[in-house]
Amino acid sequence: MTEKVTHSICVGGPIAIHTKDGVIRRIRPIIFDDKDPKGWVINARGKKYTPHRKTAPAFIALTEKNRAYSYDRIRYPMIREDFVETPDGKNRNTENRGKSGYRRATWDEALNLVAREVTRVQTTYGKESVTAITGSHHSWGLLGYKLSCFARFFRMLGYTAILDNPDSWEGFTWGAPHTYGYYWRLGGTEAFDLLEDALQNVETLIMWSHDPDTTRGGYAGNESTMWRHWLDDLGVQFIYIDPFNNFSSVKQADKWFGPRPGTDAALCEGIAYVWLTEGTYDKDYIAKHAHRFDEWADYILGKGVDQKPKTPAWAESETGIPAADIKALARRWASTRTMGGSGLRGGFGGVCRTANGTEFARLMGQLFAMQGMGKPGQNVWAATTGAPMDYNFWFGGYSDPLAQIANQPIADVTAVNTVTQKLYRPNLPDAILEGHYEWYGEGFCGGGIDLEFTEHIYPEPGCSKVHLFWRYGGCFMGTMLDTNKWVRMYRSPELEFVINQDIHFHGEARFADVILPACTNLERYDIGEYCNSGNGGYQSHSQTGCNWQVVVFQDKAIEPLWESRSDYWIFAQVAERLGWGDKFTEGRTELDWCKRFWEKSDLCERISWEDFIKKGYYIAGVPENWERHYAFRWFAEGYPCDTPNHKPFQEEGKLGTFTGKFEFVSESLLYWAPDDEARTPVATYKYSWEGHHSIKARKYPFHLITPHPRFDYHTQHNSSTPWFWEIPENREYIKGNPYLVARIHPKKAKEKGIKDGDLMLLFNERGSVLCVARVTYRVEENTIHAYGSSGIYNPVVPGETSMDIGGCVNILTPGKLIGAKVPGMAPNSTLLDVCKYEGPIPDSQCFEYKLDAVAREADPHTETCLEIIEGHGFEAIQEKAKTSYLKNQKEARR
Amino acid sequence: MRLGIAIDSRMCMSCYCCFTACKDEHCGYDTSLSKRQPMMGQFWMNIREWERGDSSRLIKTATVPTPCSHCQNPACMKAAKGGAVYKRPDGIVIIDPEKSKGQRQIVDACPIGAIFWNEEYQIPQKCTMCAELLDDPEYLSYLGDPKYKVPRCVEACPNHALIFGDLDDPESDICKIIAANRVTQLEALEGQNTNVVHLNIPSVFLAGTVYYPREMEEVCIGAHVKATCEDGSVREMETNYFGDWIFEDLPKKKRFVVEITMKGYKPVKYNVVMDSDHYVDMTYLEKA
Repeated sequence: MTEKVTHSICVGGPIAIHTKDGVIRRIRPIIFDDKDPKGWVINARGKKYTPHRKTAPAFIALTEKNRAYSYDRIRYPMIREDFVETPDGKNRNTENRGKSGYRRATWDEALNLVAREVTRVQTTYGKESVTAITGSHHSWGLLGYKLSCFARFFRMLGYTAILDNPDSWEGFTWGAPHTYGYYWRLGGTEAFDLLEDALQNVETLIMWSHDPDTTRGGYAGNESTMWRHWLDDLGVQFIYIDPFNNFSSVKQADKWFGPRPGTDAALCEGIAYVWLTEGTYDKDYIAKHAHRFDEWADYILGKGVDQKPKTPAWAESETGIPAADIKALARRWASTRTMGGSGLRGGFGGVCRTANGTEFARLMGQLFAMQGMGKPGQNVWAATTGAPMDYNFWFGGYSDPLAQIANQPIADVTAVNTVTQKLYRPNLPDAILEGHYEWYGEGFCGGGIDLEFTEHIYPEPGCSKVHLFWRYGGCFMGTMLDTNKWVRMYRSPELEFVINQDIHFHGEARFADVILPACTNLERYDIGEYCNSGNGGYQSHSQTGCNWQVVVFQDKAIEPLWESRSDYWIFAQVAERLGWGDKFTEGRTELDWCKRFWEKSDLCERISWEDFIKKGYYIAGVPENWERHYAFRWFAEGYPCDTPNHKPFQEEGKLGTFTGKFEFVSESLLYWAPDDEARTPVATYKYSWEGHHSIKARKYPFHLITPHPRFDYHTQHNSSTPWFWEIPENREYIKGNPYLVARIHPKKAKEKGIKDGDLMLLFNERGSVLCVARVTYRVEENTIHAYGSSGIYNPVVPGETSMDIGGCVNILTPGKLIGAKVPGMAPNSTLLDVCKYEGPIPDSQCFEYKLDAVAREADPHTETCLEIIEGHGFEAIQEKAKTSYLKNQKEARR
Repeated sequence: MRLGIAIDSRMCMSCYCCFTACKDEHCGYDTSLSKRQPMMGQFWMNIREWERGDSSRLIKTATVPTPCSHCQNPACMKAAKGGAVYKRPDGIVIIDPEKSKGQRQIVDACPIGAIFWNEEYQIPQKCTMCAELLDDPEYLSYLGDPKYKVPRCVEACPNHALIFGDLDDPESDICKIIAANRVTQLEALEGQNTNVVHLNIPSVFLAGTVYYPREMEEVCIGAHVKATCEDGSVREMETNYFGDWIFEDLPKKKRFVVEITMKGYKPVKYNVVMDSDHYVDMTYLEKA
């Protein structure tokens, strides 16, 4: 009857898990004991600041139990009812994908089928005819992560890799490096030790397209929320700029500006105009550190090609923000020590996922440069990163090649994909449906600016098209573009075989021919560090978003539920059937692999393996007088760069641009893309190709913004946790379906006859989504706000591009990429209309009956989805699991 | 010893950790003191979140985590029959899940709506301040020190917006926090002594922005703003670098006269009744 306490991490942060009699009882933050290291102490303005002695996971992390016992868990391997394994891959009823129900299969049947089909297509068409992709994290841990076990399997198999677009960073990845380098950080700047700098020096914080208490520093849970209270109490002025007066803004802003979506670059230009005409910028800094500044200044002042001065009055006409306010903002910025940035770590933000995204990112960087970026209290810093950290302790993050089982030294043999053909994620459906696709760039271009301009064509000369699609973890219906295209793609006979491997029966799973049930973190072994995306990878040292550096042994709390298995096991099983099982596993169990990460990092020097797995976590404390390496200070003050993860040229005082300076006319763009329309050598505000100046605006007058969500994470958590569906700012549970809240301004609501709580249809030519209206002054008048990344997808006619009641507002977003040579997505450049909905609504979520059918096939007394959501189904599941566990314990003891 | 929770609305960012932790603990599990909270429909830790303001020029929200207040003189206890509701020596108020069967009036008696009716079991239910955990010597024994045993909501809060402790110990964190902040009892419990002490719940604000004459396109910094309340109180301030002025935490339902003066310009006057948060105007001055 004793309780077992284990630990794990998810995207929401580290947790302690209490398990009793084989059943998870509760999920808590990790509370440190007296033996754990002391926290850092920052001295600032006469006060001492130190963090609380616990982890601060986000509320979503506290639902990991719910995710495990969720109503929409895939319990058994499943095969589409009307799937036919024809020898030539044709006539398989693919047009019914999404509509058909499923039947239960055994693991052997499912895995053998997968192995046969993989072999058949690769033999018939070539290795490149298999393609596969994962979502972003549906799980945490180095072993289970997509760049680890997924990558190992598919690289060994040989397949057409699908490049991810840098979805969270678009404007920064494709734009900012052309102004200030930092391509290795996907266009975001460094933030080392800036928490201390800010506490000591900052006076104004510009939170541009930023909702830190929603986006939480990425994977840093609620670690930084106290920092912003500290700064607030020190009298720092918070200025929020966002078409939505977001959840951090309404509590903390000293001033909120709500620009019309897509016009932020115009606001930048208006601010620059004030500084230039009033002479209130750091002229010495610009003289020393800027390249071709005067030509850009001339453009702002109206001496450029268009002879139009970018006055505050002009900026008002675009943004809707009064000219007087713009002037006041510019003067406050120039006259005080100001830090700020876009989105969750300063180089993100919904604003960069627009048609203008690159131009905004560059202009924002230019503004900070004009005020002496790198000087004390003057920097790009979004109040979510830069805590003290001991950089001498190395533990791998998921994007570190040294921390992936695909590579040495973790593996004995690195997995190498021999197929060069690629596809590109945002427009994967176009490639499949049209059989032809071209694009520029490697997606994630951290290796160099030149990688933005590599040329790709699909199919590659000499290569076959893809015919087998293996989809792993997560669902794109809520995150990608014009996502009804994915429905059409799945129904195409081009895809002869579709596999889905996931934990939950999310949107895309329902289009598969065979579904392989994976288990959650809590049901398998793994190891990982809090918010560690990588120490040399694309977001180096994101752990500085946390108050503590915590490495966690992600112990197995319970055995995999129903017949689910770990992703690693699934891949190993298929590899075995393909004849290279030993090569894949190298003879290691999952626990063995975890120990490799301990062994191949500094962790093994700090704590023994036995102690580590017993305690469950290790905190790398920060030494009392830790080495400071202030971000960008080296650049401003002219000493050799000393920040962790910098490039050699930075030691000579250079940025990663051609000239080493802030380029106000970009030499790299003149070199590679001089005639690019969307991203010009001089960054300028341009009318969005889907914005208020478009012809489309005559018919669809509202802007839609779909920022990173508050109640979801990468489509997870919200969907598994009905408790959230009763939170008024999130969803409303009506007749078995949780309708997403969409926000509309009172003036427009009145014009449309819409009241708060009414069902409101969001629609344009791409599709329609039914939401619940929240009438609020918190949105700019012409804006409809609805959170993106919905994990709940409920088309009223499954398998068709019908109205969705699950809240996948990305159905409405354009498939067009930012520019011909800017292959970034721009979902926040969407036009739509809304109306009050008075039609019929269904009785439940569209897919429940399919899951219920399979579950009942296996166990006629099992609880239905609805019983789990509303009734005692959850308790029944736990009761059964407990009975089974105790029975097994008893038998084991005999 | 009186166990209580201080709840600071200023620190609360409606992160929903307390809400989720409470559900995680109680939904689906009977304890020694309570029947299981149903999966949906009850909010033992209710987060009241409301918008403040009537103009996009200035909107704030109030975020008030609202569990049962564990009153000293609970209205629910008064309404209960047969000892169905009792107050422990440590002050925590518990509804007995057996004795309270059928007593719907207990739900209606609560002035703040913190008690919920369970139709299936025919009992009223509410927050237990996790007393069953506090009572359990095994709970968190692995951490080695009883100081770690706090209600789930308190433990989950990343902002120190919820502080648990002994209200009778002046050296405790909870007493210190209460002493350092504005105590704002929930309106429906005005004048009552409760073990849950709310701090810094906002009242209403009156605000505006002052500009120089429209054609100048300039905010007016340093304009003098005086708000005289019908109760005689006077509040004054100067507009800031955005031309903004704001008076917070005003008494509700009172009349105010707002006078805006700036040398060289005609004074401006507004008459306002403060029934809710109000943004008065973007005031454009006229030359005197």
